[in-house]
Amino acid sequence: MFESILHGLRQIAGWIIPLAQAAEVTLALSVISVVIGIIGGVFIALGRISRGKILKRICGAYIFVFRGTPLLMQLFFLWTALPLAIPALTMQNRFLAAVIAFSLNSAAYQAEIIRAAIQSIDPGQMEAAKSLGLTYSQAMRLIIFPQSIKRLVPPIGNEFIMVLKDTSLVQMISLVDLMKKTNQIQSSAATALVYLPSAVMYLIFTGVFTWLFNRLEKHHARYE
Amino acid sequence: MPLIETQNITKRFGELEVLKGISLTVQKGETICVIGPSGAGKSTFLRALNHLESITSGKIIIDGEVLDDRENGINKSILTKQQESDILLEMGMVFQRFNIFPHKTVLENVALAPEKVRKVSKADAEKRARDLLETVGLTDKTDVYPAKLSGGQLQRVAIARALAMDPKIMLFDEPTSALDPELVGEVLNVIRKLAQDGMTMLIVTHEIGFARDVADSIVFMADGLILEQAPPAEIFANPKNEKTKSFLQAVL
Repeated sequence: MFESILHGLRQIAGWIIPLAQAAEVTLALSVISVVIGIIGGVFIALGRISRGKILKRICGAYIFVFRGTPLLMQLFFLWTALPLAIPALTMQNRFLAAVIAFSLNSAAYQAEIIRAAIQSIDPGQMEAAKSLGLTYSQAMRLIIFPQSIKRLVPPIGNEFIMVLKDTSLVQMISLVDLMKKTNQIQSSAATALVYLPSAVMYLIFTGVFTWLFNRLEKHHARYE
Repeated sequence: MPLIETQNITKRFGELEVLKGISLTVQKGETICVIGPSGAGKSTFLRALNHLESITSGKIIIDGEVLDDRENGINKSILTKQQESDILLEMGMVFQRFNIFPHKTVLENVALAPEKVRKVSKADAEKRARDLLETVGLTDKTDVYPAKLSGGQLQRVAIARALAMDPKIMLFDEPTSALDPELVGEVLNVIRKLAQDGMTMLIVTHEIGFARDVADSIVFMADGLILEQAPPAEIFANPKNEKTKSFLQAVL
């Protein structure tokens, strides 16, 4: 009994470093994709609430496509289509393909989050800004966005955690992330034990980021 | 030359005609109170002056410059965007629901637009903001966030914020309607002082007693039209229009 627990612990200790290395891919992919997704999401959201009918349609169609098709399909598509579109790339550029797929997908979800947050701000704020002579972009930058941040943080925190877990899909294009590495170890060591340290790593990441986002939310609600 | 002149302004929302031809002139230094039942188009008229609503037809002339000259919503005025925004800056607006920026301190609320729009230095903008906050009696609240203020205090910040842009005209859209009764007085006192200092003001209000006190002229609006305009003494003692009569009987 004691022997086998000790053996298990020794095994886990040996997996920590390879798992942590693979987890770097998971983390980098999640953080980069969510950050690019926020930037893209801001522009798509602004397009959606703009008066330009065509712009509005294009942004609406973007969201429709990326929310309405499987993320896994988008991932496969970009992985296989990128080398065709850009000859300098090959199907070995797995990380790049994954970053692009996750960023584009996340932008669609975040655009809706950002649009809802902007539209939840009292229209009187924009009127006051206008009556003081602020331009539309000044009003957005100085008045509307800063107020929407505290409403944005919780749903973007959720989105981040979803992305972090969804990145496990990249094993399908043979990119070695935490999930893929876990499976590799599992098949060579023929033990389910490896899922334990792997799950703990996921939980540490989601736990730390949840805490961070909570802090951020409190920080942005300080004036209330 | 009047500071505000409107000629036959109309405004349609789809089938609904909210303004049916409003012609009004406001001379420099005049205080005009607009009264009337709700749905009369009083707020819409005020917001149209400030381009928060666009009019369907008619002319708006501010300080001699033709800001709007519209027919079927199309503006024939030849102003550039820059000229247009310069003219709009001559009007300060105070809203019923204050519309104070909650994420900015009281001082920042007042200093923001001079700094960002007039390009005044931050130090100068803040100095002027402090002076204005003193005149509205909020010296002790400069560094507080708006969430800590009462409605009356918020509205006084809003007045200081509008004054900070040095407008020639102040527009008030029911400035006390959202206030608890005991807070109305402090806001009206600030407006009264502005009137005494010679500010040109157009005030939409339900405070009939205040209007009688402070206005040089009272405009009675109903159903999208100005039905009567006269000095307070005259309109309250001897209203000519039947609708003015019954409105004043109901509110006095």
